[in-house]
Amino acid sequence: MSPAPAPVSSPRAALRDPVLAPVVVLLWAAVALFVLYPVTRLLALTFWDDGPTLAAVVELVGSWQHRRALWNSLALAGLVGAAGTALGFAFALLAVRANLPRWVGTVLDTIVLLPLISPPFTAAIALIFALGPRGLISYHVFGIAGLNIYGLGGTLLSETLTYFPIAYLTLKGVLANIDPTLEDGGFSLGARRWRVFRTITVPLAVPGIANSFLLLTAASLADFATPLILGGTKFPVLPTQAFLQITGLYDMRGGAALSFLLLVPALAVFVAQRWWTERRSVITVTGKAGAATRVRSLSPGAVAALVLVCALTVLLVLTFYLLIVFASMVRALGADNSFSSAHYAHVFSGGLKAIRDTLVIAAVCMPVGGLFAVVLGYVVARTRFPGRRALEFAAMINYALPGTIVGIAYLVAFNDPPLALTGTAFILVICYVFRYSLAGTRTTTALLAQVDPSIEEASASLGARRDVTFRRIVLPLIRPALLAGMTVLFIRAMTAISATIFLVSLSWSLVTVRILEGITNLELGQASAFSVMVILLVYAAVVLSSLIMRRLNAGSLGQAGTLLGG
Amino acid sequence: MARALLFAACVLLLPIPAWAADTINVYTAWPESLSQPIFKAYTAKTGVPINFIRLSTGELVARATAEKNNPRADVIWGAPGDGFAAAKAAGIIEPYKAAGWGKIAHELKDPEGYYTAVSKNTLLFMSNAKLLKEKGLKPPTSWNDLLDPAYKGQIQTADARTSGTALTRILSIYYAFGKDEEKAFDYQKKLHANVQVYTKSGGGCTIPAAMGQAMVCIAHMPDAMEAKKKGYDMLTTFPREGVAAVIEGVALVKGAKNREAATKFIDWTFTKDMQDLLDKNEVYMLPTLPEGSVNAAVQALMKEAKLLPVDLEWVGKNRKRLVDRWINEVIKE
Repeated sequence: MSPAPAPVSSPRAALRDPVLAPVVVLLWAAVALFVLYPVTRLLALTFWDDGPTLAAVVELVGSWQHRRALWNSLALAGLVGAAGTALGFAFALLAVRANLPRWVGTVLDTIVLLPLISPPFTAAIALIFALGPRGLISYHVFGIAGLNIYGLGGTLLSETLTYFPIAYLTLKGVLANIDPTLEDGGFSLGARRWRVFRTITVPLAVPGIANSFLLLTAASLADFATPLILGGTKFPVLPTQAFLQITGLYDMRGGAALSFLLLVPALAVFVAQRWWTERRSVITVTGKAGAATRVRSLSPGAVAALVLVCALTVLLVLTFYLLIVFASMVRALGADNSFSSAHYAHVFSGGLKAIRDTLVIAAVCMPVGGLFAVVLGYVVARTRFPGRRALEFAAMINYALPGTIVGIAYLVAFNDPPLALTGTAFILVICYVFRYSLAGTRTTTALLAQVDPSIEEASASLGARRDVTFRRIVLPLIRPALLAGMTVLFIRAMTAISATIFLVSLSWSLVTVRILEGITNLELGQASAFSVMVILLVYAAVVLSSLIMRRLNAGSLGQAGTLLGG
Repeated sequence: MARALLFAACVLLLPIPAWAADTINVYTAWPESLSQPIFKAYTAKTGVPINFIRLSTGELVARATAEKNNPRADVIWGAPGDGFAAAKAAGIIEPYKAAGWGKIAHELKDPEGYYTAVSKNTLLFMSNAKLLKEKGLKPPTSWNDLLDPAYKGQIQTADARTSGTALTRILSIYYAFGKDEEKAFDYQKKLHANVQVYTKSGGGCTIPAAMGQAMVCIAHMPDAMEAKKKGYDMLTTFPREGVAAVIEGVALVKGAKNREAATKFIDWTFTKDMQDLLDKNEVYMLPTLPEGSVNAAVQALMKEAKLLPVDLEWVGKNRKRLVDRWINEVIKE
């Protein structure tokens, strides 16, 4: 493998670039205002009490549960990263390489998207009902009574099932971009399937694998809702501890200190991922024509094994969501299982405003956040702008911090004039954009790592300015990243709660708040009905965006261009 | 395009609509199903609209603390006493003695008037009738009943770090064991062996117990009765040694923007008018005003309950220590 290609321009040239320089300044300004400023305010709150103080940290280090929580978090994040990436890779291989009929791919894509759209708490509760001591699957199907799902096992299972679709989406795009002629070459040189897979397919997919591992690990490190319900007291993790410290022990300073502790592993993962992916070149999109041959790169046995793994996963996921659908259509799950449309009637009367508000906010988040994500990814991957690594890391901070802490930091920073943004929809939008754009950025850098910079150089040498090259050459190539980034943003806007519970106001409510309300009112039916609405809306949005994308630019990178296998 | 974006930006930046001068903004920890009817009744009576946001107690205090310099809420209405103790310590509420303050018993209010009890609350045991029958068990009627090995891995109750319900449980055990803290913690360590999971919200165990994932749930009365109202086959019992009577309070936010309207609303809280609503709306809490009515259903339920009075000041001083002991002695393995 050759070393990484030289980026398009030198640092000095980058600074003089009439398009690039203002764009980078704008990115920095946005990140400084909406990420660094709130975090700094919170840091001040944590480590400043009429003078610098480490009191919060000293107290925390002495606590057995926080020490254990740190190790638990690291172990859980690593396991979720590995298990989720493996599962996502299996799904991606099946979808891209198994030459299955097209409808199978579509069905697969449709179902795999489900766990990503897990509205708060409902999925974890469905898991309890499916696999608990008297669970639908564990007890009523397999007759196992007294299964304990609280702890590492349940949390790992739930997080893996929730996050593996991120790995699937990332890896599917990457696998589809691998030029089949490379594998063809391997075969015609006499290599067996396993050798081709090991020496060609996997190495080419390494940026994707690393990215998905990073995304999953970071997602697990930041996830507090799953361990909150499934971790119990036996399995404390840091985000949950931070949440408990603030909301249970009324200790904002301690909670903030714990959250900053989380940034350390997040930074480590980030650096490791960088080091790993930049050592090698994985260019497969070269502008030279690659014949789209149909390669039988998987043996029938391998396909059968993949089908088995994926089918079992799909079955499990389907059970959870059918439980939610069922709960939404009966009077009171378990007590009165007769059909009732009352919960949907509630959604369409009292709940419409929340749905409308959420859609407006999501609709604004998608283009803003999607563009922010790909431009940031491009600047990081393709320019030599000084400080671009720092920018990328700064942009990741809000994602790595637990939602509770981001919500509080935003409140502290944006409650007073001149930046009194609380109470507006704007604060919800920026919270989502700067918290959930990471997926788009990561996918962009992964895709660009596969694209030969000489294509852009050709454009530049033909006299196109950088913005024209970006719009005409780069953007079409990283379209899947833009789409994936926007989809993730939309889903998060429809499902996130931890940060936004502090930012919702009377004029702007959210569906997730209604779901939480349903859970606290013990109205499982209402919570489920809202969850079903969220799932339907997300599907509608995904189908719509893939239709638009297909119309805008049919052809190039077709396979990876949509999320629904079209 | 640019114009559309500008328009969108303007719409998004529209703050909370300019409210009429006397509107009250309330943070509450009570579920909407319990709090909204009461707020609506006030609006119907006075014409003053009440805007409210529901948050868990901890989130409520955290949010109000972060907003300290520019308060967005005027009143905190309906949250457990320990939340108000924390709010007082954080300096986000100010003393206000409502018109009916003198009539409220002294153990139901902060001596300086920072917060006052809206209602009295307590906990009970809620058991899944079907599961009990399968094992041939009677519903527990003593704290010691819960130590029976038949309940191993079958009890769900709240986590002391998040839930006011858990504090009520710890206090109940403390008072039930004659204020002997060592005995109380010995008991809790034994109880821990039978606990399946400590849920993060107080009502978190009701649905799992209702659905048969656990046999017994120790919960606050309103949460348990809410599940029962849904039609689940649940049995409710009280431990004969007694349960702690805890408070749900109200307080004026320091620097409230609609102070006058807010204080009038707090005054109304301590009228028979509002106190009777607890009863009419089946909130399953007891009024704090002596003349507040208690309906037959609540009276029948409470017949078995031995309410143990709680020393608010002692709780305020010892809450953190009790929770720390629970973390370091009861759940540590």
